[in-house]
This record gives sequence, C-alpha cells and structure tokens, in this order.
Amino acid sequence: MIQLIELTKRFGQLVAVDHVDLQVKRGEIFGFLGPNGAGKTTTIKMLAGLLKPTSGRALVDGFDVVTYPMEAKRAIGFIPDQPFLYEKLTGIEFLRFIGSLFGMEKAEIEWRISDLLGLFELDGWRDELIEGYSHGMKQRLVMSAALLHNPKVIIVDEPMVGLDPKGINLVKRIFRQKSEEGVTIFLSTHTLEIAQQLCHRLGIINGGKLIAAGTIPELMAVLEDKTDQTGTLESLFLALTGKSLHE
Amino acid sequence: MITLALLFWVVIFFLFYKVLVYFKSIEILGEILLAKLMAVVFLTFFLMLVVSNIITSLSTYFLSEDTKLILTLPVSTEKVYLSKYLITLAHSSWMVLLFGIPVFMAYGAVYGASIGYYLWLATILLVFLLIPGGVGVMISMSLVNLVPARRARGALVVLFVLVLAALYLFFRFLQPEKLVNPEKFSELIDYLAMLRLPTSPFLPSHWATRSLFPLLKGQFDESMFFFLLLLSSGLMSALAGSWVCRLLYYRGWSRSYESREGGIKRMPLLEGFFDFLMRPLHESTKAMVMKDMRIFLRDARQWSQLILLCALVVVYLFNFKVLPLNKVPGITFYLENIISFLNVGLAGFVLSAVAVRFTYPAISLEGRAFWIMMSSPVELRRLIWSKFWTSLVPLLLLAEALIILSNTFLHVTQFMMIISTVTIFLVTIAIVSMGIGIGAIYPRFQVEDVAQIHSGFGGLIYMIICVTFIGMVILLEAWPTYLIFMARIGGRYLTLAQWIEVIFCLCLTVFIILAAIFVPIKLGLKRLSRLEM
Repeated sequence: MIQLIELTKRFGQLVAVDHVDLQVKRGEIFGFLGPNGAGKTTTIKMLAGLLKPTSGRALVDGFDVVTYPMEAKRAIGFIPDQPFLYEKLTGIEFLRFIGSLFGMEKAEIEWRISDLLGLFELDGWRDELIEGYSHGMKQRLVMSAALLHNPKVIIVDEPMVGLDPKGINLVKRIFRQKSEEGVTIFLSTHTLEIAQQLCHRLGIINGGKLIAAGTIPELMAVLEDKTDQTGTLESLFLALTGKSLHE
Repeated sequence: MITLALLFWVVIFFLFYKVLVYFKSIEILGEILLAKLMAVVFLTFFLMLVVSNIITSLSTYFLSEDTKLILTLPVSTEKVYLSKYLITLAHSSWMVLLFGIPVFMAYGAVYGASIGYYLWLATILLVFLLIPGGVGVMISMSLVNLVPARRARGALVVLFVLVLAALYLFFRFLQPEKLVNPEKFSELIDYLAMLRLPTSPFLPSHWATRSLFPLLKGQFDESMFFFLLLLSSGLMSALAGSWVCRLLYYRGWSRSYESREGGIKRMPLLEGFFDFLMRPLHESTKAMVMKDMRIFLRDARQWSQLILLCALVVVYLFNFKVLPLNKVPGITFYLENIISFLNVGLAGFVLSAVAVRFTYPAISLEGRAFWIMMSSPVELRRLIWSKFWTSLVPLLLLAEALIILSNTFLHVTQFMMIISTVTIFLVTIAIVSMGIGIGAIYPRFQVEDVAQIHSGFGGLIYMIICVTFIGMVILLEAWPTYLIFMARIGGRYLTLAQWIEVIFCLCLTVFIILAAIFVPIKLGLKRLSRLEM
C-alpha cells in the first residue's frame, strides 16, 4: 500500500532523508521511530505531498505522489503534528469543507460528520469557531477530517501530541479498528510505548537512513546479534541510534 | 524589483517637489503655507502613528506567539517592555518613514537646504517616533485591562477605519478646490487667517515643525529648544510606558486569553444567496469560495476595510459631480471627453488600491492552514481560479459602477462610454489576475497580522506593476481614441494610415492586457506548485 523506493530529500547540503527503501502492506500499522531531526517528519511530508522528493519515489495505493498526486492524495488521510486550521470556521463548516475538497456527496458528508463528531466527542462544539478550541480538540478535529473520506492510508505525525489519556486511548482503539478494516496506518512517534502497543512493524530512522525495519521480535533479534544480550524496545532504539542507556 | 520600489519613492518626491515649488512661488503667503503644510504632515503622521502603535502593540505584547515563551523565562518586565517597544516602533513606523522621507527631502530640495537639514531631519524623525510609540503602548495596556486583547484589536481596527473614512469624507466635502476659485477669494482670505493661527503648542507635531523648518533656511533659531522638548517627551513617554507596563501587563495578558474575538457566526440568508449564485461551479470551488467568504465576514480586520472602500467610492463620484467644467466655455465638450478617458486610468488606480487590500492577500490568507490545500486532492489551479473569481465579481461591479456613474455625471458621448466601460472591464480582469498571481509569487503564510500581507514588499511591487500597466493601457488607447473621436466629430472617415495606426495600437493594448491576465497567474501557479511546507 505504501512503497518508498530510494526516497531522498536534501535541503541544500543537509540530507534529511537518505535513500530510504520501505514497503508497508494493506492493513498494517507501521511505526516510524527515530530521534529528533532523524527525518521522520520529512518522510511523512513527502508522502502527504507537502514536500517534493529530491530523488527516488514514494507510492501510495500504487500511485506515485509526484506524478499522480491527486490519486495518491485521495487515498490518504493526513494528520500533522501541529493542527493549524481555519480558525474562523466552525468545526462543522471545516469538516464540510474538507468533504467537498475530497469530492464527497453532500449526504455522505453529513452522516460521516455526525458519526465522527460523536466518536471524537466534539458534538457540543460543532457550531463553535475553531479559534475557541483547545489544542487537543483541534487535534481531534483534524483526525475527524482525516477519517472523513474513509481513506485507504492514514499518515500521522506524532498522533498523541496534545491528547489527554482518554483521547490517546480512543485514538489507539480507532487505529486498531481501521487496521482490521484494511486501512494502512503509517505513524511517526517518539513514544516507544505507543509504538510497541500499536504497531505491527517498526522502522527506525537515524540521520536520514532507515537503519532497521521489522516486527518487534525481529528487531530484538537484531539487538541480540549486535550486543549478545536481550533487552527492551528502548534499549534496542538506543543501541541502534548510537546512544547508550546512560546518555 | 528594488529599482521599481525606488522609482515609486522618487515619484512621491517629485510630486511633493512640484506642489512645494508652486506654494513657494505664492508671494507672502507661500512661506506660511509651506510651514503649515509641514505641521499638517507631522500632525497626520503623529495621529496615524498613535493608532498604528496601539494596534501593533496589541499584537506584539499580547497576541504574538513568542510572548508565551518569553513570559515563562526569567526576564524582567522592563526588558520585555523594551524589546516589544522597539519591535512595535519598527513595525508601526516603517511605512510612515518610507512615505515621509521623500516629502521632507522635497522640502530640502525646494529650499536648497544644506546637509545640516538632512542630518537634523533624520534625528527629528527618530525622536518624533518615540512619543506615539509610548502613548500607543500605554493606551493598549489600559485598553486590554478593560476589554480582552482579541476583542480590543477587532474593535480598534473598525474604529480606526471609521475615523479615517469620516475624516476623508469631511475634508472632501469641504470642497477645498473652491479656494482657488477667484470668485471665492474672500473665503481664501478667511482660510489663510485661520491658517495663521498657531497649531496647539502642546502637540509634538508643532514641536517637530518648529524644530525642523528653520533649518531649511540655514537658521537654527529655537530648533534646539523644540528638539529637546521632543526628546524629553519621547523618553518620558517611553519611561511612562514601562511604568504602565509594570502595573498592567500581566493582568492584561492573562485577560487577553479569556475571550475569543467577536464576529458574525451565522448568516443563513447570505450563504443561501451565494449558494444559489454558485450553482454552476464545481463543488470544491464552491466550498473554497464559501470558506473565504465566511472567513472574510468574521474577521473584523478584513471586512472593516470595506468602510474605507465605501468612503473612497462616494468621494470619487462626488469629485465628478462637482467638477466645474461648465466654467470653461467653448471647450467643455472636449474637456468632458478627455476627462472621461483619464477617468479610466483613475478608476484603474482606485481599483488597484482596493485590490492590493482584498485580492493580493487572497493566497497568503490561507495562512499556516495551507497544508490542508496542499494535502488535499484539489489542483492548485482550482484554488487560484477560485480566488480569482471571488475577487473579480465584486471588483468588476465596482469598476463598472464607478465608470458608468462618473461618465453620466460628465455627459460623455456614447462612443466614450463604450470605450471606457470596455477598457475598465479588461483592465479590472488584469488587475485581479495580477493580484492573485503576484500574491502567489510572494505568499506570506506566517504573518500574524493580515495587514502585514499587503504592506510588505510584494504588495508594493504589485501596486507599482498595476500603475505601470494602467499607464501603458491608457497611453496606447489614447491615440486611436483621439483619431476616431475627432473623425466622428468632424464627420470624416479615417484614412488608411490612420486605420493602421488604430489597429496597431489596439492590438498592442489587447496583447498587454492578455499578458497581464495570464502571465501572473501562470507564474503564481508555478511558484505555488514548487512550494514546500
């Protein structure tokens, strides 16, 4: 469902993403881990169409994001880490606007909005201007917008930022449910616990290079090979990104 | 581009130079008029600076994003005050400086002033800015403790625009052109008598004038006294600002987050009407237009500019109504038609001034939410054209209303009416297209205040290009229009050579208009499609 082929992004001299090769299957929840500045957000932005690759390709649902951007974007529900929205629209107006951009039928937009506002507990705020929403509410509104058109792929940058424990629990439940329905989820996170609980497979990126990818047992095996000892996901992450546990 | 900006600056200089040379040539009264004009310029700048500092300080002290971080750091209130004070001064004063410097330089050129005048001018201007800065900050500090910052800013912007519009209408309806009419000479004497009265000696504009004006003639008189008055008041106002800040800042900052900005939330009738009008449009285009319309009506900083626009239109039409053309017997007919032709240029200029506020910022107004458009399956071409149509319809209505009504007041021939309505139709399309295109070439998604969009470099470039374009169209149309007009008046046919000239000029005009419509949109689209967020 998602395929990255030699994907590279340079900003002048800086190589933010360096020849990344990766495949994510249908219905899979793939966690993208890495320290700050490793290239997670850059990769996600290239998938979402906000950045253009310097070289290599990124395919979503079989469509190249550069040569067939409309088809690729139609398959994606994108959730950024910072929920910048049209502050002067109400929640329901914003969702209707997004539905129209994705070419949905009016009736379909209305019942999907009704479902999603209930699911994300924004019912009471539907007619309030977004400028009055808290950060967490804006984040939940962005998630509603991303799920509105029933995307085949959900791309999320730091999904739990700004959410309270109840919200985090809700999002985990929704992602699992979506995954069971065959939706592919590509998420970047710093929170190893969430990655461990939620993801079928993980990829670890450091200095723009994908240094490891696989299921948690597969990655643990890598750790054992490297250090001759068993450990946790945290120790694996630190070992692979070149930092000791004492750092 | 910098050359074009400099050119604009030079034009202001020469315009003022011409006016000042004319004033100076009037015996006895010339000097008084020049001094009074300088006092009026300083007073206007002072009032504009006070209001501008109030609005800017509401943003810098209370609503800007960095304040949240700064207030958590171990930084004293005085330091926060001082840094924000300097930012406020810079943001609210650069425009006044930009337009003020050529005016005062024109004074220097008219009097052949020495280098001392220019050095003194620079000093006076810098010191002059301090007072409205301190006053503005103090007013906004007090205001925010009464009304939360977001509401205060919205209300202030509306108030500011209303005051400007009222002042504009007031001065226009005084009909100052009557003062140059010999029949009204007695009124002129009264007017000058009024001018001889001193302006309030307590106003900084008076001190600045009294300090600067003698230097034009190489005299120093009381310049130092008035300069010290300005300097001490400026420093005192800055110091008083810091006291007020210590007393009121935290309380006001906390209150600024207690409320949202006011605005109209529901407008079912208007929305229903627009929905009906946009039936033929694509669903996503319709959604984009509706979204822009809602945001426009809910943002006081955007819709309040319509008040100024209305004042502008009323005065524009009033000017044509009171034009004393019938006082020049014999040539009235020609004059009316020539003015009708120049009217197209003038209307084009007014439309550019309107478009720089409403059309040019259209793309930048997407703001940091632009990621939504970029990650949606909507081609940027559709976004650009939706913005184009949203701007074009109201501007076309405005343009045609201006031209048809003013031509009716002028009693022009049917031929001139057709020429001007068709020209303004095409010119408006080009003005809108250039606004959207250049706005897309210079997008400013990160600005916290919408006024910063059109007052930036791109806005200036847009205005310069618009004025150049309108000038070219008028010049190219003038000759063929003259030939056809004169032939019709004389009951003659055009010669073959004249036909060739007419066709050549008109083809070139059409080519320029078409280029102005399509090239900016194409360049803007190219820039946006390369944009990365």
